[in-house]
Amino acid sequence: MINGIVAAVIFILCLAIIFAEKIHRTTIAITGAILMVAAGSLMGFYSEPEAIAAVDFNTLGLLLGMMILVAMLEPTGLFQLIAVWAGRISKGRPVRLLILLGLVTTVLSMFLDNVTTVVLLAPVTILICEILGIHPIPFLVAEALLANTGGVATLIGDPPNILIASAAGFTFNDFLVNSLPLILVVWLVALGMLRILFRRELAVMPPNAEAVSRLNPSEALDDPKTARRILIVLAAAVGLFFFEDLLGVSPAFIALSAASAAMIWVQPPMKKMLERIEWNVLLFFTALFVLVGGLDAAGVLGGAANLLTYFQGVPPVVFGIMAIWVIALLSALVDNIPITIALIPVIQQLGENGVDIAPLWWALAFGAGLGGNGTIVGSTANIIVASLSERTRTPITSKLWNKRGLPVMLGTCAVISILYALWFPLFSR
Amino acid sequence: MLIKDCMKRNVISIPAEDTVAEAARVFVKHHVGVLPVVNAGRKPVGILRLQDLLTLELPDFVSLVADLDFVHDFGAVETTRPAPELLARPVTSLMQPIVTVGEDSGLLRAYSLMLKDDLHDIPVTDPEGVLVGIASRVDVAAAVLSSWQERKGKTP
Repeated sequence: MINGIVAAVIFILCLAIIFAEKIHRTTIAITGAILMVAAGSLMGFYSEPEAIAAVDFNTLGLLLGMMILVAMLEPTGLFQLIAVWAGRISKGRPVRLLILLGLVTTVLSMFLDNVTTVVLLAPVTILICEILGIHPIPFLVAEALLANTGGVATLIGDPPNILIASAAGFTFNDFLVNSLPLILVVWLVALGMLRILFRRELAVMPPNAEAVSRLNPSEALDDPKTARRILIVLAAAVGLFFFEDLLGVSPAFIALSAASAAMIWVQPPMKKMLERIEWNVLLFFTALFVLVGGLDAAGVLGGAANLLTYFQGVPPVVFGIMAIWVIALLSALVDNIPITIALIPVIQQLGENGVDIAPLWWALAFGAGLGGNGTIVGSTANIIVASLSERTRTPITSKLWNKRGLPVMLGTCAVISILYALWFPLFSR
Repeated sequence: MLIKDCMKRNVISIPAEDTVAEAARVFVKHHVGVLPVVNAGRKPVGILRLQDLLTLELPDFVSLVADLDFVHDFGAVETTRPAPELLARPVTSLMQPIVTVGEDSGLLRAYSLMLKDDLHDIPVTDPEGVLVGIASRVDVAAAVLSSWQERKGKTP
């Protein structure tokens, strides 16, 4: 009992300090992990070998592999090309631009990390809006929200999905069957809501619509040869993800194979390429695995699961929908990665207690993915867009996010709840 | 030769109380690249560069996008003007820290300071710190190069 209290205090303290955003989340997670191992070793509930065993290398490998591919793709200017292309096709009409940029963001975020997608698209979005003479905020907010939404659709789209797939043994195809169709509907709802919420800004016709037609997409692509090579490797990797089951290999193996193939083919300047990899994210994950491993070893997560078993009387559909909302609200306030890592052992324990957990995994994916849209700090993509906009004359404020992002989060969670109920018989395979 | 032998003595400066709009007028009238900002005793308190004024009009994307060669038409931003309240602000809100040299400074020392701080013009002060002149890179470099023709200096 005392073990559990100590472990829970360390974990909740870490979450609270992460929430306060005064110290970098990776620093907090590493310190928390050290404290957890120290407390565990002293009190005998957690040891160093157990801490290392708690690290999910499948998740880390998949993240690293995809990060290497993106790090090589970034300097080619491919993202710039795509955004410029969207700008030209829109002919400067704001609503059309919103739909095109939204579509591009969503498709990219389904295969690449949301943060990278937003980091690379947002500056060009600001450029397009400025030469058109329109407000960039609707487009930037839309990009963050739709990147978060699109990420839920695939196994590799979003870190929580990678974690869930690794823990639940879901394949790439499982996500295509159980998540993609639902997210398509949610995406349309989100886009429609953005169209309505920003109707005033989008009604302004650009004074200088023909300027976008003079943007030259081919000049926006700096290194077509490398871009082509990495796209081929990326396409091959996605192709292999489809046959993950058949081949009997892990997603991490596929991603790292693709990364090494791309490195052999392109031979990037190693030091520069490695600088673009978000090592702090990988460290954050590793530290969180150790931290949550201690929480699990101290029996806290099992205890939480046993408490939840009392909800057995509640119909499973209702329980799943409740889970979506609770997880979504938590993810809006705190980083969704620690939430996901902490809830995974709880769901696993529920499974051991005889609950059908397949639908709960999907509730976790939907809640963690869509909940991040609720506040300006809810997801890293939101924070990135907001901090980029701070370097412009029209910064995105927390107040504005509450007026535009929060309704979208609530709306998409409501829609996903309905879809979840309709899809429920298919989840429990 | 010293910096005081090659500097321009007719230095255009601006009082610290002036507004950004007034500074812009002085820049246009005298066609200079920098304006030392001086207090009532003509001692420099900062410097206003052309680029400090131009950033008010430059679009935000210039600092966000690395390579702009694909943008052939800046469109709407070509005709935007800074807001009147920005132009009414005092020059002290835009000015940068000033680097000066004493009038008895040597030429190579002055030129090195300009290189290190990436200055195109360097204001010159007398021993009391009062602004007495300004020298451009061209002024200093030409004065240095002119000594090559005399060939009287010692060779290292």
